[in-house]
Amino acid sequence: MLRLGLRLTLRSGREALVRLWITAAAVAVGVALLLGVLAEFHAFQANANRACWSCTAGAAVPSPLPSRGELWNDSVDFYQGQTITRLDVAPLGAGAPVPPGITRLPGPGQYYASPALAALLRTVPADQLGDRFPGHMIGTIGEAALNGANDLVIYIGYTPAALAPAAVSPPAKHALATPAPAAGTTWVTSIATAPPREVFTPFFRYAFGVGVLAVLFPMLVLISTATRLAADRREERFAALRLVGGTPADIRVIASVESVVSAFCGAVTGVVIFLLVRPALAGAALIGTRYFESQLTPTAWGYLAMLAGVPAAAAAAALISLRRVQVSPLGVSRRAKPKPPAIWRLTILVLGLALYLYGLSKTTHKSIGAPAYPGLLVTMIGLVVAGPWLTSVASRLFGRLTPGSSALLAARRLAGNPKGAFRSVTGLVLAVFLGTMVGTLVPAVNAAEVTPSEGALTNVLRDSFGLGLSPHAGARLLAGLDAIKGADVYPIYAPVVTLRPPAGSGDGKGGSGSRGPAGGPGGGNPVSKGEQGANGALVGTGPSVMTCSALRGLGVLGRCAPGLHAVEVSDGNLYDDNPMYNTQPIASASSPPYTGDLAKLNLITVLVRVDRPATLERVRTYLAVNAPPADFAGGGTAPTPPRTFGETLQIRTARAATLERIVYAAAALTLIVAGCSLAVAVGGGLVDRKRPFTLLRVSGAPVGVLSRVVLMEAAVPLLAATVVAAGIAYGTSMWAFVRLAPAGTAIPRLGSDYYYLMGIGLALAFGIITVTLPLLRRMTSPGNVRFELALPG
Amino acid sequence: MNSPVAMRAHLIEARDVAKSFGKTPALRGASVAVSPGEILAVMGPSGSGKSTLLHCLAGIFTPDRGEVRFDGQRLDTLGEAERTKLRRTAFGFVFQFGQLVPELTTADNVALPLLLNRVRRRAAYKTAQAWLDRLGIADKGGNRTGELSGGEAQRVAVARALAVGPKVIFADEPTGSLDSLAGEKVMDLLTGLAREAGTTVVLVTHDARVAAYADRVVMVRDGQVSGDLGAAGAQVSAAKAAR
Repeated sequence: MLRLGLRLTLRSGREALVRLWITAAAVAVGVALLLGVLAEFHAFQANANRACWSCTAGAAVPSPLPSRGELWNDSVDFYQGQTITRLDVAPLGAGAPVPPGITRLPGPGQYYASPALAALLRTVPADQLGDRFPGHMIGTIGEAALNGANDLVIYIGYTPAALAPAAVSPPAKHALATPAPAAGTTWVTSIATAPPREVFTPFFRYAFGVGVLAVLFPMLVLISTATRLAADRREERFAALRLVGGTPADIRVIASVESVVSAFCGAVTGVVIFLLVRPALAGAALIGTRYFESQLTPTAWGYLAMLAGVPAAAAAAALISLRRVQVSPLGVSRRAKPKPPAIWRLTILVLGLALYLYGLSKTTHKSIGAPAYPGLLVTMIGLVVAGPWLTSVASRLFGRLTPGSSALLAARRLAGNPKGAFRSVTGLVLAVFLGTMVGTLVPAVNAAEVTPSEGALTNVLRDSFGLGLSPHAGARLLAGLDAIKGADVYPIYAPVVTLRPPAGSGDGKGGSGSRGPAGGPGGGNPVSKGEQGANGALVGTGPSVMTCSALRGLGVLGRCAPGLHAVEVSDGNLYDDNPMYNTQPIASASSPPYTGDLAKLNLITVLVRVDRPATLERVRTYLAVNAPPADFAGGGTAPTPPRTFGETLQIRTARAATLERIVYAAAALTLIVAGCSLAVAVGGGLVDRKRPFTLLRVSGAPVGVLSRVVLMEAAVPLLAATVVAAGIAYGTSMWAFVRLAPAGTAIPRLGSDYYYLMGIGLALAFGIITVTLPLLRRMTSPGNVRFELALPG
Repeated sequence: MNSPVAMRAHLIEARDVAKSFGKTPALRGASVAVSPGEILAVMGPSGSGKSTLLHCLAGIFTPDRGEVRFDGQRLDTLGEAERTKLRRTAFGFVFQFGQLVPELTTADNVALPLLLNRVRRRAAYKTAQAWLDRLGIADKGGNRTGELSGGEAQRVAVARALAVGPKVIFADEPTGSLDSLAGEKVMDLLTGLAREAGTTVVLVTHDARVAAYADRVVMVRDGQVSGDLGAAGAQVSAAKAAR
């Protein structure tokens, strides 16, 4: 019987072969997509479980320096919006721990760079990048230390004296020549091996789970649809087999063999497709990391599940579909006439919406109400359950309101099998729902991060110097910056004041205030935290001062009263990393004028507007060399590198953008799988109805009428359910946004990405249907009529 | 005919068979008996129940009431598996259409019941080819059934029905889709080969010219066998004269 099944599958003529390949192609697309998702998840998991060397926590550097372990100073830097992870390291004795990806520590004046950074260093002019890193490259860092191929990482070697904090071994600071990342240096005796404790890891794991389900569900629909391809025609054949003595078991074997063969061919083809597109997928950086190709692979179990599970699922689908029919020697009959879908099908959707809205009612500006999550899931299930009812109602309305024979035929068929009609568009409807929800929420969340003035400061870089550079060093730094073509420099000054005199020395009066060191967020002038001076006094900075011409140059940070040269500014917010705050005006017409000599004040911050990316990197490199951020960090704290307001926003919105990318990718995948389902369903439906369509054509129905029937049969459930899904998704997302966003935030509109994705998805769906129409014309041509009407003669 | 001795003499017999489809009765106590080697024609108007009677005799339908015996054995009480086995080993079928597997070639179709009967592949195809040869369509062995004319396809069906060496061939309007010439050829072959092999034939038709090939004709009206017209010689002569 297996041999007969194989014979029927593989050597039964062109129609059977076409059916086999359509099924296999549809399954292949689904398998390739699912493998892609599994591979991405595997790579994500591998990275999430990787030892986090940069999480190494050292101790304060002892004095005198010990003879074991190493001095360790890790920090971040930026290049063209990408983060560079930098480790400055100096061994204190033999056996100093070696970070992953290299075999020995770099010596003084040497460094290792990741392949991506090494490539940049080779191609980018040194004054834009290379000058930030002292020494020369002696090798590249291996995969063990990297998250992906585009990671920018550098390990730089030093002598202990060069890297030790000033108190231990005072480096030559502010010399405008020698980069010395001494502050923030710690003593490390062992390197962390635990995975990073990423706040978003569980979220991404959950998102991948949802993504797999989002692809898996339409893919099961696809397999099920593909397995039932031309089911009516096959069932006729089964009846003929039963007539000559084939047992029900024989029929089951034959049906299973057919399904397994086509699904297995599809699964193998899907694996091949996946392996072919894997390099492209590795470069896609779906969640922001371009994974190594070696990581981007499903597990062996993943492959096995595809190669064995998909054929098994196909066989199961074939057997289930056989249970629904009675194959007798005289023909095939349905075991039960399907009942029209009842209104109870809306129950789950209503329950899901109620749960979701209840969750939203518990939502505040700070957190989303817990019931909203299950509510969303139940709503999606509810959409699938309610779909046939919607199709049934829409088909009745359509039949009543639309004139013409095409509408009549389409409406009758839809009303006869609304479940089947909706099944072929289920994936599309879910994709529209998810896409609409994300298309509404993510741009809204991003919009909430931006102020109108942010745009004007996008290309303005900010660098702060703690208590500031001395007037002399500050002047030299400004002169150097001024010399860079395309850079406009706007300095902020402040006097150094004594906050508290040395213990037992006086009255305890301090200056009027100071700002926080290292550009940390402050509440505005006067600010608080000072540093211990050399004589034991606590020193800080006084009110910040800007020239009125600088304020005019920046444009959006406020203006002085007319006639003034400089004013005191409230620049506390400027150091926040949220553009909602750091782009607020820092001066106004009522700002106190400053009449002192600016040349006697410390330079605490520079704002530099750059005309193009190369200038930005030139400025950043100049600052990294001449005013290294680590010089101004507090002991043990990671220094903040200079970055533009645009980069600050980009970092803050990166997670939302990643989420948007993941969901759009899931929606796109779902659209592709759903498009395949639709193609298979429409093609299969045509083959099944070859006889009635031929009869209609013979009896005078033009091909145009039949084509319209096919189009309407897909369009009615698709549009009805899509409108409902998009409406629900948009409405609920809007309410979610209103609950989450600060009061007064403008209601966002759906972005162009959304319209592109949905437009392409729906166009794809109708394109697929249109492609099947020539098949209809050929299939029902008069040349085929004889066999249809007089079979077998 | 109703005595136990007489029943054993019949190869196949239906007694007081009733069968309804939903609330619509198709047979209302039909009785008929067929002797070994006999060719019986069942005639009647459309909707009279003649096809339902044939399907009950062949074990395709189980009657709601009454009994059907084949070779002395109750057919109506047999399970689906046993009835399927009978269809595979003892019965052959020739219907108006829909009995051939369109994806298979002519030779495949004829060999199919043998293959289902676990006959070795080579032997099955040898037998199939021999029957195709006898039916004058040896050159069509590699063709798919969709490529055959109506008459050729029915000859394939006859070959398939005879290939298993059945005791009974059930034919339901075997010439219904054919022109008179092709129909005559099919009936000549079917009845000629059946007589040669001593195979019983139960033939449902509404065409007197087809019925004329039978040894005996019974009429079915309103779900009952209303009359046994006896030997069909007179009708054969009449029908042939009419042609």
